[in-house]
Amino acid sequence: MFKVERLSLNSGPFSEISPVITSDGIIFCSDRRTSGITYRTSFDNRRLYNIYFAERKDTSDWRKPVMFKSERSALFNNGPLCIAPDSITVYFTSEIETGVPTKSRRFRNRSGIFTGQLSGNEILSIQPLKFNNSEYNLGQPSVSSDGRYLFFASDMTGGQGGSDIYYCEWVNGEWSDPVNLGPDVNSSAIENYPFIHPSGKLYFTSNRPGGMGGLDVYFSIKTGDEWETPVRLSEPVNSSSDDFALVAFPDLQKGYFSSNRSRNDDIYEFVTTIIRKSTCNVLEENNYCYEFVEENAVRYDTMPFRYEWKFGDGNTADGKIVEHCFAGPGTYVVQLDVTNLVTKEVTPNIKSDVLVIKDIEQPYISCPDFADAGQAISFSADSTNLPGWDIGQYYWNFGDETIAVGKNVKKTYLRPGTYNIQLIVSARPGTDGTIREACISKDILIKQQP
Amino acid sequence: MKVNTAIYRFLLFTLLTALIPLPDLFSQAVPGKDENIPYLVTFGKNGETSWGDNDFRSIFFFTIPRDYNRQFYIKVFDPDAGGENDEIQGLWDSRTLFSVYGGKGVDPDKNIESRGLEPDDNFKSGNLLASRVFGNDARYDNGYYAFGPFNPTEGEFNEKWKSYIFKIVCEGVSGDDGNLFRYFLSREAGSDLPIEGANAFTYEYTFRMWNDMKSIAHIYPYVDTGIVSIRQKNFDWDDDGVILVVSTYKQGLPVPISNEDDYAESTIPVEQQEIGKSLDFQFHKKQSSLVRNNNVVVSLKNQRGDALQFFSSPIGGVPVYQPLTRIRKIQKK
Repeated sequence: MFKVERLSLNSGPFSEISPVITSDGIIFCSDRRTSGITYRTSFDNRRLYNIYFAERKDTSDWRKPVMFKSERSALFNNGPLCIAPDSITVYFTSEIETGVPTKSRRFRNRSGIFTGQLSGNEILSIQPLKFNNSEYNLGQPSVSSDGRYLFFASDMTGGQGGSDIYYCEWVNGEWSDPVNLGPDVNSSAIENYPFIHPSGKLYFTSNRPGGMGGLDVYFSIKTGDEWETPVRLSEPVNSSSDDFALVAFPDLQKGYFSSNRSRNDDIYEFVTTIIRKSTCNVLEENNYCYEFVEENAVRYDTMPFRYEWKFGDGNTADGKIVEHCFAGPGTYVVQLDVTNLVTKEVTPNIKSDVLVIKDIEQPYISCPDFADAGQAISFSADSTNLPGWDIGQYYWNFGDETIAVGKNVKKTYLRPGTYNIQLIVSARPGTDGTIREACISKDILIKQQP
Repeated sequence: MKVNTAIYRFLLFTLLTALIPLPDLFSQAVPGKDENIPYLVTFGKNGETSWGDNDFRSIFFFTIPRDYNRQFYIKVFDPDAGGENDEIQGLWDSRTLFSVYGGKGVDPDKNIESRGLEPDDNFKSGNLLASRVFGNDARYDNGYYAFGPFNPTEGEFNEKWKSYIFKIVCEGVSGDDGNLFRYFLSREAGSDLPIEGANAFTYEYTFRMWNDMKSIAHIYPYVDTGIVSIRQKNFDWDDDGVILVVSTYKQGLPVPISNEDDYAESTIPVEQQEIGKSLDFQFHKKQSSLVRNNNVVVSLKNQRGDALQFFSSPIGGVPVYQPLTRIRKIQKK
């Protein structure tokens, strides 16, 4: 399902973690050496993490990362970070205490979330969030694409154990008090590195039991007021090592995550091998219904006449304006007979039209509009109408990151929700080697099993 | 041998009948063949308007194409007021004057009063070429009287129709009987030989309906350039059925109909595509009971108040309605 590759921007012995996708590259955190002489270290000689930006050079290479500087970058860990929808405001993790106590070897500084304004390669106007607290840690912020929710991780008291995922809502110009996502998402183990995707999927990291080892990446979707049971991403995104801090592009076809599978923490790119088209026509139902109008009669209200339409399929209707639905495609000779009610004279076939009805040329998805979770559903492409195509493959994307290949397939959805199905039909290569492809999509509503 | 000759003649006649378009053959009959009107009617000036004539006169114009350079006659069928076809009121006491005019002052395009639509109009304009008064005269009952011969150039030339215009006025000068008659334009006095391309028109049509519920009378006004609407006025139709307006774009637009001795008026919109063609005013008689001896007067004016011409042979031919059907896909029911 996924293809994974280590990014070339990773430095050898240092760590690179927590990627953030921007329009022209990625922002990430690293404890890499910034000068040839010294490391930047904390009081206990741990190397400090700072925030870097790597511009994408081409599809496989990156320009040399540059550090985002701030008043805190020389003294404290900075990052992970996220960018608000305005593309200027950033939220990032850093240590809370800046005063004398930090100089004590016994003092254990806590992390909090800070906000600042991005200006070139600098973060200015840094302010702590009001609920930073020296008694516990807050960090790894992620703002929803509409700017309304701020997700983060914290080990504050009252959680499910370890660190948990929380969110705040932007209300009346400030962030509301943090809300724990509850036991549907959080466990007694560690949950951190939340990433709220524009689709509403919440990706996060956890070392809960049942994983593949170390930290693993999971996702959950909120349905109504409930978060669904988290789903662990499959190999090779998750491994026996620590895999964490996953972010994804809006189409979910590609993204980045961190992993120490090669000893150091490094950033990896993942690409889904599932085909999902970014543009795909919505399935149009074939429609054989028509309106027939004698326009001059409507315009002049020629009362003393009766209009009888013969639709060529054995059906008839009376009136200046009539409607008729044919049973299916075909060629129909529609005939209009007019009776002059004054003279009783009938003029048969005063006008005839040849109506050629064809099915829409498209791949066709035959399936129910709704079904229950857990119910096996049949999907058929039998009614596909692509004249002249030598179809070689029917590829189904069920909208839940599962696929199937074949003209008639079955699928069982486990969770309720609305899924967008794509049927991608490919023709066998033509004489010039070209392969024609057509995509059609349809929504299916999966309801909770009664 | 005689039998064979008769057969050949019959076959030749049949062949000619099939080859020659009938509207052209009878184009100078007034009323025209397509009009299916039995007679024009003019009452003596002492008659009642409730009998179906509002002004006791009838004015028709004949057009002789300029490339016709021979003599011709204007024949009147049954010009007398008496006998078989006419409408008696008491005793046969009507006298009817028929007058043929040519020369300057006849062309109604140049001289509006020549149309005779208003009571004070000098409709006798032009050169009087011939006239005759008919009373109850059995010689002309069910027979013809031929005015002429006339030379085409005795008419007034009309550039628009490329024709010489002649006018024939019928006046009920005394009495109260209804004179029912027909006109015919002919190259000869003693036979009916039409002039190719000739036509006849009037501005106010006073005619007799058939005493037959099935027969439909037609009159064909010409829709000239610039007309956007027509004001129709019909008089004394005795509530005798339905009047429908038919054109290529109108299948049968009903118009208000008059009752005994009254007028009914309405406005009819005109389509751009109807310009330069004729409308078909159809007079469908009442089917519930037969109204006998019904005479009716019809006149039309455009939006500027100018009168429209009714041609005996419709300009552009008899309009045939062409349905305009539209088929469009709709949402599945």
